[in-house]
Amino acid sequence: MKRNTLVITAVLFILAAFAWSGWANWEFRTQAAERLRASAAQGELVVDAAGASQYLTPLQGKPAPPFTLEDLSGKKHSLSDYKGRALAINFWATWCAPCKVETPWLIDLRNQYAAQGFEVLAISADDIDRKNPRKLNDEKQEIARFVQKMQMTYPVLIDGDSISEPYGGLDALPTTFFLDRNGIVVAAQMGLTSKDEIERNIRKALGIVK
Amino acid sequence: MIARKIIIVIAAALALASALTQGQRPLFDDAPRTAAKPAVVFIYPEQITIPAGKPTTVALHFRIAPGLHINSHTPGQEELIPTTFKLPPGSGVRLDGVVYPPGADFILPLDPKTKLNVYTGEFVLHARFVATPGDHLVEATLRYQACDNTACMPPKTITAAIDVVGRN
Repeated sequence: MKRNTLVITAVLFILAAFAWSGWANWEFRTQAAERLRASAAQGELVVDAAGASQYLTPLQGKPAPPFTLEDLSGKKHSLSDYKGRALAINFWATWCAPCKVETPWLIDLRNQYAAQGFEVLAISADDIDRKNPRKLNDEKQEIARFVQKMQMTYPVLIDGDSISEPYGGLDALPTTFFLDRNGIVVAAQMGLTSKDEIERNIRKALGIVK
Repeated sequence: MIARKIIIVIAAALALASALTQGQRPLFDDAPRTAAKPAVVFIYPEQITIPAGKPTTVALHFRIAPGLHINSHTPGQEELIPTTFKLPPGSGVRLDGVVYPPGADFILPLDPKTKLNVYTGEFVLHARFVATPGDHLVEATLRYQACDNTACMPPKTITAAIDVVGRN
């Protein structure tokens, strides 16, 4: 009797050990897969041969992830609405000082290249609380004040956080993706660069060879 | 004899379980290393003893990661997010006021016209606490928004756990 009890205990122990190790292994694989996914989607800043920093995105050479977002008036804009135009998808926020510096450059360049089929889509990463209509209204007004102050003439979309994952997490702002007329990402930049650098990328998106 | 067999079976099971779970080590070892480090960390104090019911000033030390800055409490532009310190309601400790350190002027290297007021390195807030008698584990919060010379990270709130003892 005593022997049977001991054997049953040992068998149960072994089964428990197997179950536990199986669960731990599954958990490990899940986390490893998540890490891999995250690292695959995130871009990185690298320094090129000339010493300038370049933003390398895994989206380079691939179609930009599709999205549909609202502007400040509630009108929906989909990426597909801009098919056939070269685009700069500019992620920014009202609290981002470098974004404030590059906005006038984007306005100028958009005006300069609009006739050639270029457009800027500015996507605000400011927090949006959709559950609280009053707060949402205040948040929209804050963004609208900024848009008016900066005299942004191109479409300004909100709730950028909702599409941040396919665009690499957007850990830092400003981040801009340049798309050619077929919606393919031809260049990207993270952080404040220069007006010349932005223009170079716009020309690349438009297929203008110097 | 039976006992010896049982011990062997258990030892084999333990060895097997150990071998099977070798792969899970990164689950515990890697996670903290791969997680994004916060731009700001609370350094000290972890515990303070203050007279109960009497406003007492406490120096709270924080450290900002090298290469980054955060907006000061008065960042100079209305859209920028100021650094703010708060205590949760109902924690047994009330925040009677905070004296934030003055920030340093910072000019964006790529735009000399943009002048900001920021904290870098280590900074100290002087918070006035009023504690009820007893031991209170307070989860204070610091909200900040960090940037480097060219880019900004989203605003973040970190917790500073402080054991506040209110003595009669």
